[in-house]
Amino acid sequence: MAERVVITATGIISALGTGKDTHISAIRNLRSGVNGVSLLKSVHAHEFLLGEIKKSNDDLAVIMGLPTGDNGYTRTTLLCLAAMNDLLQNTDITLLQNEPFAFINANTVGGMSKMEDIYMDVLTVGADERNNKYINTLDCAESTENVAAHYGLKPIMATISTACSSSSNSLILGARMIKQGLVKRAVCGGGDALSRFTLNGFYSLKNVDKMPCKPFDQNRGGLNLGEASGFCLLESESSAKARGANIIAVLSGYANTNDAYHPTAPSPTGEGARRTMQQALDMAGLKTTDIGYINAHGTATQNNDLSEGLAIQTLFGTNAPHFSSTKPYTGHTLAAAGVIEAIFSMWAMEERIVIPNLNFETQMEELSIKPVSGLLENVTIDHVLSNSFGFGGSNVSLIFSKA
Amino acid sequence: MRQPLYILSACSISPQHSYDAENFLNPVVTTDDGKLRITAPDYSKYISPVAIRRMSRMLKAGITAGMKSLEMGGVTTPDAIIIGTARGSVTDMETFLKDMINLQEEALNPTGFIQSTYNSVNGWLAMMTRSTCYNQTYVHRGFSLELCLFDAQLMLSESQDKKYILAGGFDELTDEYVIIRGRIGYYKEQKLNSLSLLSHNDTSGSVAGEGAHFFTLSNNPENAACAIHTVQMLLKPTSEAVQAAIADMLAQNELQKEDIDVIMCGMNGDSRSQFLVDPVVNDCHEHTTITTFKQLSGEYDTASGFGLWLVNYLFTQKRIPEEIVYKKGTSTRIKNVLLFNVTILGNVTLMLMTTPPARP
Repeated sequence: MAERVVITATGIISALGTGKDTHISAIRNLRSGVNGVSLLKSVHAHEFLLGEIKKSNDDLAVIMGLPTGDNGYTRTTLLCLAAMNDLLQNTDITLLQNEPFAFINANTVGGMSKMEDIYMDVLTVGADERNNKYINTLDCAESTENVAAHYGLKPIMATISTACSSSSNSLILGARMIKQGLVKRAVCGGGDALSRFTLNGFYSLKNVDKMPCKPFDQNRGGLNLGEASGFCLLESESSAKARGANIIAVLSGYANTNDAYHPTAPSPTGEGARRTMQQALDMAGLKTTDIGYINAHGTATQNNDLSEGLAIQTLFGTNAPHFSSTKPYTGHTLAAAGVIEAIFSMWAMEERIVIPNLNFETQMEELSIKPVSGLLENVTIDHVLSNSFGFGGSNVSLIFSKA
Repeated sequence: MRQPLYILSACSISPQHSYDAENFLNPVVTTDDGKLRITAPDYSKYISPVAIRRMSRMLKAGITAGMKSLEMGGVTTPDAIIIGTARGSVTDMETFLKDMINLQEEALNPTGFIQSTYNSVNGWLAMMTRSTCYNQTYVHRGFSLELCLFDAQLMLSESQDKKYILAGGFDELTDEYVIIRGRIGYYKEQKLNSLSLLSHNDTSGSVAGEGAHFFTLSNNPENAACAIHTVQMLLKPTSEAVQAAIADMLAQNELQKEDIDVIMCGMNGDSRSQFLVDPVVNDCHEHTTITTFKQLSGEYDTASGFGLWLVNYLFTQKRIPEEIVYKKGTSTRIKNVLLFNVTILGNVTLMLMTTPPARP
């Protein structure tokens, strides 16, 4: 039997702050990071609420010891650096220097947050040459290569982009590489910075709520966008134990499937989501009753929550485990959503809490189940399931179990 | 990983007549404007008239190359769809971005936003083949296609069952893309005919290209023309590191230098990467024929897909067209082939390919 894959460190930055303590404190105090806009320069800035990280690019550069101003780093890269920096607070970097490891990153629009500001300029004859250093930042691989280079690391690298399931796929790829014995360790995750491009994209799809989002609520009106980055250190169980590492959780099951239904909408019956969760359970060798908490994708769009809610109800029955969407805390952080919610899921198990689905008020008519609306403490959770679903019919479920 | 990827079929939409491979190089398509654009086939075979009007050009090319590859491979519903693209549908990204800027973020049409999503070709191919299985998109510059093959090898290593994987890559050339990347030396400033690209390797830059290349892969060697044994990705390597990686690859597969019949060389005419190319070309065995492809495909992040298609073409045709020969070797067989690709950023990828079913 292939070796188990465990998680031994996490790194995270979101609208709730940086690192575990800040996040757990915000979660316990029901403090949402979704607020008015102060950094994104959009004509709609005053109309929307965003899960914006209230640190400017210069603030982030200072934290990382980088020059401020036009330093060639996009916000996407800076957020990834901040998350990696958090991970390395609790991880000996020599683990990543002395043996081959994989670095699997993910994002949806590369350095669009910078490119959208300079695009018309770089098209013009005689354009400002100082912008040339940003030209390749539209590549999704830019942040991956820059983070590795910043720490002088030479990992096997990959960058994934499957819309809102992207960084969940990073964890799957890293786990598969470890199981096949290609590497002992893999740093897996992703990051997305807010951009006008993405905000207007979802706005033009009429998927954005101008009020705080209400996942799984009858009166939900769409998503709030956010930005974040997160990474997990995945490791073979034997190498984690050999070095006496603190094992946060076991990645016991995962599945990647496709709806094969519609470019942007999930199948209304939730068939695709149900199949994905079932396959992850099968891999983990678990029954539905083993799952103590589901961190749902729960974007608060009409389509997702109906489809995902029906999928949970069909698979788990009307006596479904505690479930919630944590997007009212962070906003929908797109490519980062998978990994930061995977981290939240592991923390829920560690801290013995069920994270509430903020803003929930009204039961959905189509469902007989409803999300957990208040914080639950002292809950024994042995297995958690985390869902991420994206455009292109891309579905991913991850299951974490107690070590 | 030692898992062979048997190539059951390959379909390429490139500037050349590669889609209908019987007309390949007849005639050779060239350009003097530095932009080798795809020769578009009739898209109506796989895409409805309504969708043809709505879809952007690279979506149509990617979907069509993918569907035709499956059809040629006799596979209806693949067990996985794994696609690499450095930049997805650039036209859609540009459309939405410029509309957003020009219309000051008001009354935007979401089509460009949706279609510019990197996994949109993945989604369409899943829908059209009803493939609800594994679906993945790699977006790592010049490694995008190679990561797909790496993932496919990983997947076939995980199970003994016969599996059929659709893997491929695509990238698009647009006028704006060429202007923007031209600002940082991607393309040659002098006028030249694309066919003479490789003789201009004393100046920086290359000729822009685009394409969509898809492969039906399996662990089942039946009906395969060739197999990929090893895929290597080298980030900004030294010339010595490239030589060492090639030596390792040959050793792993129990081959000597003289066993290599063809090196399919992805030299791009860029003086800055010539130092990576020269030792490979100069130190090869007299048996080995060196062939090139970027004078036909142009340079882009997933151009190695055209190289891979061309290697598969050599295996199926059992001959080497004169138009692609750079240096003639003495070997008369096509048994072991090294695909060696170089990118503008100085990255290198390597693939060792042989005739099926077993390693030599």
